[in-house]
Amino acid sequence: MSFIDRFVAGWRKHRKPGYYDKLDYAWSMTIDLDRCTGCGACVTACQAENNLAIVGEKDLAAGREMQWIRIERYWDGEYPNATLNFIPMLCQHCDAAPCETVCPVSATYHNQDGLNVQVYNRCIGTRSCAVYCPYEVRYFNYHDHHWDTPLEQQLNPDVSVREKGVMEKCTFCVQRIRQAKDHAKDDGGRRVQDGEVQPACVQTCPAEALVFGDRQDPNSQVSQSMSSPRAYNPLGDLNTQPSVVYLKKVGADAD
Amino acid sequence: MSKVDRRDFLKLVGAGGVGAGAGFMLAESIKHPIEHLVPYAVPPEEYSPGVATWYNSVCGMCSAGCGITVRTREGRAKKIEGNPSHPVNQGRLCALGQAGLQTLYNPDRITAPMLRSGDRGSGSFTQTTWEDGLNRVAERLEDAQRGSGDTYLLSRGVRGNLDNLLGLFMAGLGSENLLHYDFDHPHSLYAANLRTFGEELLPYYDIQNASYLLSFGADYLNDWLSPVHNSLGFGRSRQGGDHDRGRFVQVEPKMSISGAAADEWIPAQPGTEGILALGVAHQLVASGTYTGEDLAAWTSALAPYSAASVAAQTGVSSDTVTRLGNEFARATAPLAIGGGATAGHTNAVDALVAINALNYLAGTIGQAGGVIFNPQPVTGSGGHSRQASYQAMLDLADNARAGRISVLIINNTNPVFTMPGAARFAEALESVPVIVSLSTFMDETTALADIVLPSHTYLESWGDDIPQPGVGFSVAAVSQPIVAPLYNTRGTGDIVLALGRKLELTDLMPWADTEELLKFAWQQIYERDGAEAGGDFDAFWRSVLQAGVWGENVRRADMPTIDPGVVASLGVPEPVFVGSEIDYPFVLHTYLSTSMHDGRGANLPWMQELPDPITSVVYGNWIEMNPATAAEQGLKDGDLVQVTSSEGSLEIPLLVFPAIMPGVVAMPIGQGHTEYGRYANNRGANVISILASEVDPASGGLASSATRVSISPTGKRAKLVRTGGVARQLGRDIVQHTGTDAGTAGHSAKLNSIPIVVESA
Repeated sequence: MSFIDRFVAGWRKHRKPGYYDKLDYAWSMTIDLDRCTGCGACVTACQAENNLAIVGEKDLAAGREMQWIRIERYWDGEYPNATLNFIPMLCQHCDAAPCETVCPVSATYHNQDGLNVQVYNRCIGTRSCAVYCPYEVRYFNYHDHHWDTPLEQQLNPDVSVREKGVMEKCTFCVQRIRQAKDHAKDDGGRRVQDGEVQPACVQTCPAEALVFGDRQDPNSQVSQSMSSPRAYNPLGDLNTQPSVVYLKKVGADAD
Repeated sequence: MSKVDRRDFLKLVGAGGVGAGAGFMLAESIKHPIEHLVPYAVPPEEYSPGVATWYNSVCGMCSAGCGITVRTREGRAKKIEGNPSHPVNQGRLCALGQAGLQTLYNPDRITAPMLRSGDRGSGSFTQTTWEDGLNRVAERLEDAQRGSGDTYLLSRGVRGNLDNLLGLFMAGLGSENLLHYDFDHPHSLYAANLRTFGEELLPYYDIQNASYLLSFGADYLNDWLSPVHNSLGFGRSRQGGDHDRGRFVQVEPKMSISGAAADEWIPAQPGTEGILALGVAHQLVASGTYTGEDLAAWTSALAPYSAASVAAQTGVSSDTVTRLGNEFARATAPLAIGGGATAGHTNAVDALVAINALNYLAGTIGQAGGVIFNPQPVTGSGGHSRQASYQAMLDLADNARAGRISVLIINNTNPVFTMPGAARFAEALESVPVIVSLSTFMDETTALADIVLPSHTYLESWGDDIPQPGVGFSVAAVSQPIVAPLYNTRGTGDIVLALGRKLELTDLMPWADTEELLKFAWQQIYERDGAEAGGDFDAFWRSVLQAGVWGENVRRADMPTIDPGVVASLGVPEPVFVGSEIDYPFVLHTYLSTSMHDGRGANLPWMQELPDPITSVVYGNWIEMNPATAAEQGLKDGDLVQVTSSEGSLEIPLLVFPAIMPGVVAMPIGQGHTEYGRYANNRGANVISILASEVDPASGGLASSATRVSISPTGKRAKLVRTGGVARQLGRDIVQHTGTDAGTAGHSAKLNSIPIVVESA
């Protein structure tokens, strides 16, 4: 086997969704669109937890927002039969993630927990991943952002502050997952239990529309929820095998 | 409803340690972060670097009174979460509650006591010491006691023992002029409940167990009474409840987020929602569901509200009125609520009485999934009795103009911003010789003050709270300092106690600080049940601080029933609007912004950057208009338009909005500040400034929906920043639906309930 063959084989292995023989956990989320009210609590909770930059009006006007989870809104029909549908959109942590295949420096890859992770200090800012992402949930730091003193005192010490030229996105609050895993390890090497860890958005959701957990555990709330007949994936034809599953809104489709 | 019992309340929460009060000492080091490389050479007990400590407290961002648990690291507050033990929010929190940290760490806070140095309103202040500031206020108060004018205290809505303390302070000064002022206080709902049930209390609306919710204008998922608790109820009623999927119907002229979440959105002519409620009641009685002894009285009282006549008045088709009546009558647990614009018309109290009557006729008073009455507060005050209605605020302004107010103390409320321009409130304040402001931030009202005594944020101060409307049983919560004060500020309670000492009112107010007052007052609760459990008061107090909340899962035994006189007085008059239909063709619909609330959130950068749920606008505000109307007027989305009422005009970007009635334009409240810090100032316009000074005579509350406006183009285009892209699905099928019958008990809808449609060849 030549060097090139070995390289290609290794590369293929890394790109294959089932590269890990077995994931430690398969963190997943369900979002019940029949419960979501679009209130935006998840958006602000995420900003607070993950040190998201305050980008300012000018950058927002240029489409450079930083919201790892955002509320998308879609109108159907016209007055007086107009209906409005909300859908929270965040990194889907795809098992066959288009962003992972495109990164020239492997700054984004799949980890042992089934998370699509972003290595900030490996990222060189080509922004290719953002182009490849069909969900448009990758956010680029066009500037070094700053916080007016003393707002920086709020920054979460468990999460790094990103710098100019780096891509960032939802991590499923990986710092909380790490902490829960460490805690479980110290606690006699047990597994993380269902409900022991929640990302900030799930924890705050006033309508309990978001559910998070390990889909390897068939009894976890998220596994139960994913087995709902209402489960679907937006843009499902792309077969990205997302870890985020949406539950259909109950009601007539105006389309 | 809730299976939470008292023991659960007292359980410790959170993954890390839970502390009581000690956060105060822990955080001392943050005052000198530079001098100490290792902040804790001698660390306080229970502290280890890198390990978070959680403190339970009460959210101070709106008046719902949610419990919070705040994560601190090295003495700094890092994240606010809902307190899972608190029955109001059960671990959940809204966006504004999440943003509370930015009030604490806001760069525009007032950092020390200040005295006005230039002309009033010039905004020039010089810093002084607390001793000097307090002495000056005490002198002015003594002068006022000797002189002819009165002393007034105008506070934001406070509940619990802080309210009692303010009452004692004013009693000590020999003044009865203690008023609370919140723009969104539901005066008309209190008045309607007094008329219907003989009790001026907010009941608990059990949305969670309701199977059919008919909301007249109440944007219960955004701003009505207790939005987080309502959202919890909404979610649980929708999916995973004990009953079939709850059905939600929203009646309002402009779609709110509650309207978007509803299964059916019904636009009714503004101000006729109460008439529609009576139409629904008429059909309910006609369908034979109501079998009370006074059936004949109800039948005759409701006779004028046949579907046809209601349809003519409301613009809702008679078929729809009949169908709503039948649905309401047949539902296992129907519930009707009213608020928002419905509570902002001149007939608000009549309309809300009609909605109460609807609940009564459906037999849901005191029932699960219905209207459940709260017990009296266990300690302190429930907060309504001193709330100033708009009429009372007008009287206050008149007294100011007439020179009857010699000292006005303002505590963290901003009437200059939230009073209609027609009230000329700022102008009235000019006649007040001494204005003292206890405020965390410089704002439009504090800018007019002579002496500014800066108060703590809620994350730095002691207090307690009786959540309103509560959850149908007794709940009380304590808020404790999460971090050491950032600046040279003091808690409102401590400021009042210090003034009391200077004025020798220590007989009335013997406490050294607010914490001591709370411990004194909570003896009452301790004796109620803590004592019998054994243990001393200190242990009880520590356990309350750790849990953040105390409760007693006992429903009231004496549920009030409907006043028999209601049926005779039933009826909703036509609403009155200010401005003629010819000069001012549009009804102006105002609503509280999700992120700014009544304007208080505008200085928080997270709230400025939170896209409005429905329009995705950030950093600004707008006026909404129906697409067909805009086309008729020759206006396009993004045009800068002039909005003129009989009271004034403002310029604002136009936003073409698919779900608003043709004769209505809608504008969110919250932007348009001029003195509220770098993030808030000079963004959009304050719609309250052009509201007419119209009251609902039955409650004295501001009729905030009773203004007509005209819209004219300015020829300019406006910059309106929106984060959302194309707001249509364009066949991408991103949000998918399943059949309307698919709601069943359990978390999921059943597959076999999706209707199969066979198309004919």
